[in-house]
Amino acid sequence: MTDFSPTILAFCCNWCSYAGADLAGVSRLQMPPNVHVVRVMCSASVKPEYVLKAISQGVDGVLVLGCHIGDCHYMTGNHRTAKRMPLVQRVLREVGIDERRLRLDWVSASEGEKFQKVVIEFVDEVTKLGPNPMRGVKF
Amino acid sequence: MKLAFEERGADYLLIMREEHGNVAPAMISKGESADSVRLDIPYQLVTILENIYPWLSKGKIAIITRRCDEKALAELVKRKYVDEKRIVKIGLACSEEQIKKCRCNDPVPSNVAVGEPHEGMKDDELALALSKRSPEDRFSFWVDQYKKCNKCFGCTLNCPVCFCDDDCVLEDRTFVAEPSVPPGLSFHMIRSFHMADKCIECGECERACPAEIPLLTMRKLLAKDMKEVFGFAPGDEKTVSPLNTTLEGEQLEDECDEC
Amino acid sequence: MSVRHVLTTCPYCGTGCNFYLQVIDGRLTGVVPCKTDEISLGRLCIKGYNAHAFVQHADRLRHPMIRENGQLRKATWDQALDKIVGELKRIREKHGPDSIALLASAKCTNEENYVFQKLARAVIGTNNIDHCARLCHASTITGLVHSFGSGAMTNTIPEFDDADCILVTGSNTLEAHPIIGSRMLRAKEKGAKLIVVDPRDTPLSRISHIFLRQRPGTDIAWINGMLKVIIDEKLVNDDFVKSRTTAFEELEEAVKDYTPEKVELITGIPKEKLVEAARIYAKADKAMLAYAMGITQHSNGTNVVKAIANLAMATGHIGRESTGVNPLRGQCNVQGACDSGALPDLYPGYQRVDDEAVRAKFEKAWGISLPAKPGLTLTCATKEAAIGKLKAMVIFGENIMISDPDIGHVEEAVKELEFLVVSDIFMTGTAQLADVVLPAACYAEKDGTFTNTDRALRMLRKAIDAPGEAKADWVIACELGKKFGSNGFEFSSPAEIMAEMATVTPIYGGISHEKIDRGVVRWPCPTKEHPGTRILHAQEFTRGPGMFAPVQHAPAAETTSDEYPFILTTGRNLFQYHTGTMTRRSPKLEREAPEPYVEINRGDATRLGINDGDRVTVTSRRGSIALKARITQRIIPGTIFIPFHYAEAAANRLTNAALDPVSNIPELKVCAAKVAKA
Repeated sequence: MTDFSPTILAFCCNWCSYAGADLAGVSRLQMPPNVHVVRVMCSASVKPEYVLKAISQGVDGVLVLGCHIGDCHYMTGNHRTAKRMPLVQRVLREVGIDERRLRLDWVSASEGEKFQKVVIEFVDEVTKLGPNPMRGVKF
Repeated sequence: MKLAFEERGADYLLIMREEHGNVAPAMISKGESADSVRLDIPYQLVTILENIYPWLSKGKIAIITRRCDEKALAELVKRKYVDEKRIVKIGLACSEEQIKKCRCNDPVPSNVAVGEPHEGMKDDELALALSKRSPEDRFSFWVDQYKKCNKCFGCTLNCPVCFCDDDCVLEDRTFVAEPSVPPGLSFHMIRSFHMADKCIECGECERACPAEIPLLTMRKLLAKDMKEVFGFAPGDEKTVSPLNTTLEGEQLEDECDEC
Repeated sequence: MSVRHVLTTCPYCGTGCNFYLQVIDGRLTGVVPCKTDEISLGRLCIKGYNAHAFVQHADRLRHPMIRENGQLRKATWDQALDKIVGELKRIREKHGPDSIALLASAKCTNEENYVFQKLARAVIGTNNIDHCARLCHASTITGLVHSFGSGAMTNTIPEFDDADCILVTGSNTLEAHPIIGSRMLRAKEKGAKLIVVDPRDTPLSRISHIFLRQRPGTDIAWINGMLKVIIDEKLVNDDFVKSRTTAFEELEEAVKDYTPEKVELITGIPKEKLVEAARIYAKADKAMLAYAMGITQHSNGTNVVKAIANLAMATGHIGRESTGVNPLRGQCNVQGACDSGALPDLYPGYQRVDDEAVRAKFEKAWGISLPAKPGLTLTCATKEAAIGKLKAMVIFGENIMISDPDIGHVEEAVKELEFLVVSDIFMTGTAQLADVVLPAACYAEKDGTFTNTDRALRMLRKAIDAPGEAKADWVIACELGKKFGSNGFEFSSPAEIMAEMATVTPIYGGISHEKIDRGVVRWPCPTKEHPGTRILHAQEFTRGPGMFAPVQHAPAAETTSDEYPFILTTGRNLFQYHTGTMTRRSPKLEREAPEPYVEINRGDATRLGINDGDRVTVTSRRGSIALKARITQRIIPGTIFIPFHYAEAAANRLTNAALDPVSNIPELKVCAAKVAKA
């Protein structure tokens, strides 16, 4: 358990959270390794299918970060995300996969420290959850 | 007796009848006789209606509808796949036997034209049993079940609210990476997500599955989740899916055809 | 506007599911399962759901064609048929009737195959008629006829549900016969023990209780090994052996040296697992054996099938509900084509052509004298063509340029022929080499019957018209018969053909379209009142007592060497079908598995520096193909697997036409190959 370093996929939207991630980096804020950041234009372009595929292929945790509600560059994109992700969590829960492996949060372009905090918290939580049970399954 | 409903102005009637020692779905035109009608075999006539509808430029179709079929039609009408003015619903109340098989909690259509209404069931036994088991147990259970899947696509082809015929994401290796069978868990989780705001629990998926995976149970589990998270249940013509509304409940514009 | 749901039978595998073809204003729009069908139970596989997709494809052959100056040009039916009759008469005159061979089709109906063999025998005067059963279950026929007296599946598909134990070998059931595979899943849910013996890890083996992985070509060894365990541990069904069989002592003698240790050496199967599997099979109350190409397609295929029969007889798992020896026939009507006499040594109903009394019966029925000598098998016919002894071939619905072994030689053979006629629904690799091409109707465009693997007669009902000038093969064959001057082809419907067939075929004696329209009937059905037969050999075997066969393990015809270190085995995948003429034109099927590939074990791949998706060449003594590598643990080290569906990388370019001497079935399951990064 102590040697387990989770593989994390972090989808960050171009206008807010990715900029926030950039800021965290530029500010030399310490962050755990194994977090793979994927820049998307809007958190709404994170199709639930990508999240579900990632989890089914053994990714230990998926982080979806968008703009704060009201600040979405595309007006209502993050509303869609806010609706979808809780449902994805329920899909995971029903199949016996801990829904905490998916986390949705809002990070603005100026919130470098929040980005760091969210990532550290999330990696911590997923580490405690252990490896994705799909890792041991061969279809 | 059923023909009397053509007096409700229908030009066609979607029904089931005996032929060649089997029971077949059939579309009968006004004026044709309809003998050897059978209503006890659960064909999914709404799915068949969807196949026919694009070719039917005019006329009204009457269709035998169970309660679940009514709800399916509502979902289609809501998304403008079907013009409700052209559909005549002939309500069929399901038998006790059928209600048990579907573990149905809502078996009586709004207007009963055929059949005796019976009460629905409260619980899906399997769903109940699963809810008492640990996540590890449930994971084991579903993985064992889904491993039997042989990608027949029967669940999607027979589903009345599965309408992405030519561009189904489940056919895309981007989302279902396995090159052969069985497909991985993503196939089933993606389907669960897509169905969550549309499934009206007709049970056709489960009946069509050669591997007898308890798909209807998974649908019911997600239905409970939809209720808890959004206070939403599919099946009426007015309420837009929460996946298509803002956090304030305003309808989102449909940039894509997906939901 | 017209919407019809036409109940018909699937044109793909031998399960014979029925479904409704949905026809809207003459357009095939889809497939709806038939919920009351006994075989499919309202379920289908992905191919079944897409069985409509290729039918109205733009590539369908619409007009007859005749080759002139090296090019195929459009012709009229009269021109084409006259040319055929003219050429065949000329060649027969010059070289004798046996210089002509007909290939019937396991994709054509019983009525059509009956007419094809009548054409060959009563009109052309030769017994050179055969079809693709030669490639798949010919050894089942010879093997089981020897052991039981009858070569067909002994029990029925629905019975799988209630078996306590199912032993499946040489069959990737969930991919090749998905709906039969789903029955096995049902049995397992009810508590049945599933034993799978296969070199490959298949969808079925993954959910089995015991999975034995043997080297390809070592089946007699493990079967004899199981028999020895059963004998040593006193698990033989003595009552059954005593009262229903003969030659058990010879069997005991034959298997006495097949100790679990020795079997492990030959096959690679761990001895404890072999013993466990044998015990489970023998001790079960109702155990079913199911098998397919992995057992039959060997140079000693007949013997392997006899070994399977030995196993069932020694344990008494035959002649009762949910038991038996169950060969899973591949094509939609390969069983029927055999039943209808499209075989060089057998008339309809498995009656021998060299039996004087039988021949006299047919001569009387058809009003003409018939040839006495059994004809050429398909695999021998191509060899005879290559050396110039066979001059002409008339092929109905078969694509030998992809489906036969060693297609390099097939190509030579075909090019050596003086005259080749091909009747098909698409322009196949074989049709491209023909002198005359005839456009045929497919399953959705004609009436008729198929016989599925469990001997059930299944109806085809016409849903739409054939495209252009295409005609049903029975119409083509009858017109040929008439143009030849025969009066035995005055049929105005397939029902009439079946009526005649029933009069000369005892096992089909009571079959008529009217009877099978109303319900499922399995042969033997000797009279009109007879309800059909579900279980064979219930009281006694067709030959009387079952005959044990003392068979020994023999190595494959071609073994590995330093230059060709891999065992190449070939087979099917779920999404494509045989030579791909239909499935590759079905968008959803083609999309699932569009490219040829070779399965290589991970360890082997690493050694050779090959990564998943790399382009590689696979070469055998007969040829070479280039395709993608698929790295997987599903194949044992030292063995590679290539599906034979892809014309652009045809697995049969590599396979070995080594024939089983009794059945002439080729060893498609074992040859030697090498793999290199391209």
